Amino acid sequence: MKKFIIISLLTVLAAVPAAACIWVETNNYYLFRAYNPKEFRMHADEVTTNNWKAYLGSNEDYFHFRADEVKEFARKKGDLLMVSYVENLEKYLECAEEKRYESWRYPTKEDLAQRQQTLQNVRTYAQGKLKSRLRSQHALLFMRCNMMLGRHAENVTFWVTTGSTMIESIYRDMMRNIYAGALYKTGSEEAAAAIFAEQGDWESLMTMYYERRSCKAIRQEYLSNPNSPVLPFLLTDFVNNCQEAIDTQNDYNLEGKLFIRDITKAEAQQMCQLATSVVSEGKTTNPVLWQSAKAWIEFMFGDHRQGIADIEKAVKMEGEERMKDNARVLKLYMTAVEATPGSSFDDYLAQELNWIDKRSKEDNSFLDPTRRLVHQVLVSKYSNRPLTAVSLLKAIDSYEYTTYLDTVRVESLLEYIDYVSTPAQTALDRYLKPHQKLSADEMNDLVGTKYMRLCRWQEAAEWLARVPISYYNEKGYACYAANRKWSVEPWITRQFLGEGVEYSDEKWQLKENPKLAFAREMAKMEGELNVLKSKERPQRCYDLAVRYAQAHFTGDCWFLMRDGKSICDTLRCNEVDLTAKAVGLLQEASKTKDAALKERSLFALCYGYLYFSEWQLQPWNCDEPESPAYQRLKNPKSRQHQAFAALAEFERSNKAGVSKYVSNCDDYIQYGKN
Amino acid sequence: MNMNRALLLLIAVLAMTGCRQSGGRRYEMTADQNAVYYWRTELRLDSTERDFLKKQHINKVYCRYFDVVMQDSVPMPNATLTFTDTLPEGVELVPTVFITEDCMHRRHEGLAEKLVRRICQMNETNDINGVREIQIDCDYTARSRQTYYDFLKEVSHSSLFISHYSLLSTTIRLHQLSMAPPPADYGVLMLYNTGDPRRFMERRSADGRLLEEGRNPILDMRDVKPYLRRLDGYPLPLAAAYPVYLWQRTIHGVRVEHTVESEEILRVKQAVEHERPELRRTVITYHLDKENINRYKPETYEEIYHH
Repeated sequence: MKKFIIISLLTVLAAVPAAACIWVETNNYYLFRAYNPKEFRMHADEVTTNNWKAYLGSNEDYFHFRADEVKEFARKKGDLLMVSYVENLEKYLECAEEKRYESWRYPTKEDLAQRQQTLQNVRTYAQGKLKSRLRSQHALLFMRCNMMLGRHAENVTFWVTTGSTMIESIYRDMMRNIYAGALYKTGSEEAAAAIFAEQGDWESLMTMYYERRSCKAIRQEYLSNPNSPVLPFLLTDFVNNCQEAIDTQNDYNLEGKLFIRDITKAEAQQMCQLATSVVSEGKTTNPVLWQSAKAWIEFMFGDHRQGIADIEKAVKMEGEERMKDNARVLKLYMTAVEATPGSSFDDYLAQELNWIDKRSKEDNSFLDPTRRLVHQVLVSKYSNRPLTAVSLLKAIDSYEYTTYLDTVRVESLLEYIDYVSTPAQTALDRYLKPHQKLSADEMNDLVGTKYMRLCRWQEAAEWLARVPISYYNEKGYACYAANRKWSVEPWITRQFLGEGVEYSDEKWQLKENPKLAFAREMAKMEGELNVLKSKERPQRCYDLAVRYAQAHFTGDCWFLMRDGKSICDTLRCNEVDLTAKAVGLLQEASKTKDAALKERSLFALCYGYLYFSEWQLQPWNCDEPESPAYQRLKNPKSRQHQAFAALAEFERSNKAGVSKYVSNCDDYIQYGKN
Repeated sequence: MNMNRALLLLIAVLAMTGCRQSGGRRYEMTADQNAVYYWRTELRLDSTERDFLKKQHINKVYCRYFDVVMQDSVPMPNATLTFTDTLPEGVELVPTVFITEDCMHRRHEGLAEKLVRRICQMNETNDINGVREIQIDCDYTARSRQTYYDFLKEVSHSSLFISHYSLLSTTIRLHQLSMAPPPADYGVLMLYNTGDPRRFMERRSADGRLLEEGRNPILDMRDVKPYLRRLDGYPLPLAAAYPVYLWQRTIHGVRVEHTVESEEILRVKQAVEHERPELRRTVITYHLDKENINRYKPETYEEIYHH
């Protein structure tokens, strides 16, 4: 069964269009979870991995089973039973892998016969070790081989007579999982489904019930057994598919999820009717499950009043703890949508968020509904209380919190820091503030950098002076800060670092706080600018332009304003355009009577990174599918093109001759050809 | 020009014609054949399906063996059929391979050989005997057409194909009728997925006037009509395949189900056979499945399979 399920799933997965090139964080988590969604497979992987680690005495974080390593260790230990077990396990796994992956080489009869023989041999070996020290592992191996050999009836008998009598362990659980598959293969579907549901093998259940997920099918399942262990799974699937249908309408759903079944409003209403009759019949031991499903469906399809009335009833009903918790989460979400923020709702919210935090320590899937709640309801609800809104984002570790910090006005950031550092007055604050945990160095750097982005150098320096150099030594950009200078003209020399430097493991020790040094230098240079004599001023303008261009996110000293470099970077909110500043300064410098400085300034003005639009466009020519190529089209309206024109005009009358850095410039040469 | 050069030239010309008819033999749709497509991942027939094959005198099953899809820029087999059952005695099996169009955006060295070899191995491993034909299904476009045609030539010229099979067929969509024919022995004219899926609802003006009637995206006579005139002169023997399936989709949260009325199938059948009588020889339905069998009355199937 397991193999069948894995193969089926892989088939489905393979059919899903490969849209994984862009990852977008989703907030439309499923709210309805009547069971712990952790897959049995994941649980089994986790425990067996830990067992191998314990055997090897490994502390490796990302450990995965390596047969050779285990065998070598076992040999050294003299554990020959383990050596033979791993050798045979390897043979079994190889057969399973061969069956699992499709390749151009389809197996021959001989291959299949060889595979069968191998499995048969491993099976015989395992059977002979059922009384050994590793009897559970060998019993599992025996059942695995039987499964691959199609000896399902034998597996049923083996489990009943032998497997089920073994001590509790993950191997026993896995045997029972194979037993359930064998039951399914031998026609005992109901018993198989009950085990899958109990174990949390949702993948197998989905394979079994893929075609039986409609309201009609759920009704049939209920009629055959009002307390069928599969019902929580089926109901959860149905309700979450309703959510998918609604999310699709609201464009929340970018990629969709696997196994979506389209639900119409009519079918959703049928489900509500079914839930009503199930609750009133009183045969179910989990009325909370049905009542909360009804409430959430009603709410999703727009009947908020009825949905809230029904969820109020649901939270008072009987059922399994996970189902009661589920109803409580739903009640929070629905109440939040309808509530007006105020002390009463704040207190309720704080109480529920505290409870979810506690529950999520045992089952982290509880955090998912909170993420949806914060993103889709609370942030807009608290829009007139931005400090609460951003604190909520931080409490759920939202990526939007990072965006907030990066783009918010410096004044707002200071208010946030102040809010976090003062004692809490309300229940909601008491919940939120411990979740903020700001590092003083991080905040001082952040505020200082924000002032840097605004070119408010004095204020920047005040904040940055509080940050120790050691803080910057730990930053990923320490290597660049240690090896680049902002006084280097970027249009003449690019400061590329060799691979040996860029990818070395060296712990860089900076001699000074780079941001503070830059801010102080800029403050001094700009402060002096207005008092400089007219003769000296153009050179100062030029020198400042060099620094602005270097500190820009396209410059070599991008680390002054950014934590990382990306070719997708753009000018951000609450940030001065440093290249515009550089261009203004260079234009002033270019008016100098000093021919050499004039040439340098005019040349600098041709630097492509100073502009959004280049002097020539290079569109991809798709009209010739046989020989596509980049085209070169002049863009005379661009400022860069005009800069090239000014430089060319200057060079035509430059008595000192064209400088080498100009004549060597390939863009300038290209411009001359046009 | 001496004799040797003339001979070489003749051989070159013959080689350039390339197609399987070049030896003077041209496949003809002579015998009447009732056929179905089998488009699942496990070959297992239930009693309804077996009964259908018998009652409708189905003597040929185009059985999807596997798909070829792009994986990490390389064409790879996917969703391979597993054999847990066999076809009834006397029913011919035609291994059919669906290739996604993007696999044909450029030539892939050795793909034809790998594909034929895999089919041969699947037959051998699973004791499928008496196979004489292979069908390739690909929704080729103007962009992929030449690569696809070259690929078909490679398939039919591969030594494995020559030693094992005698026929190569391919599917033809209506829009492909305007292109030069593929180098195959015959084509199966797919009379489904003919319409624009967006035009399934009627359009009316603000004052309620009917601007455009809705069209069935699976099969609508109005979508077939423009292609009828191309049928007579299309230079490749053709069989016809008709849809009997259900297509479910959700549009703006509303579930929409499409099936084709039996009258529409028969209207299209009559029209295409009028233009090209050969199309009544081999008739195929897409696809064999209990639900599809129960969707129409047995009499409807009898009319579809009427030659």
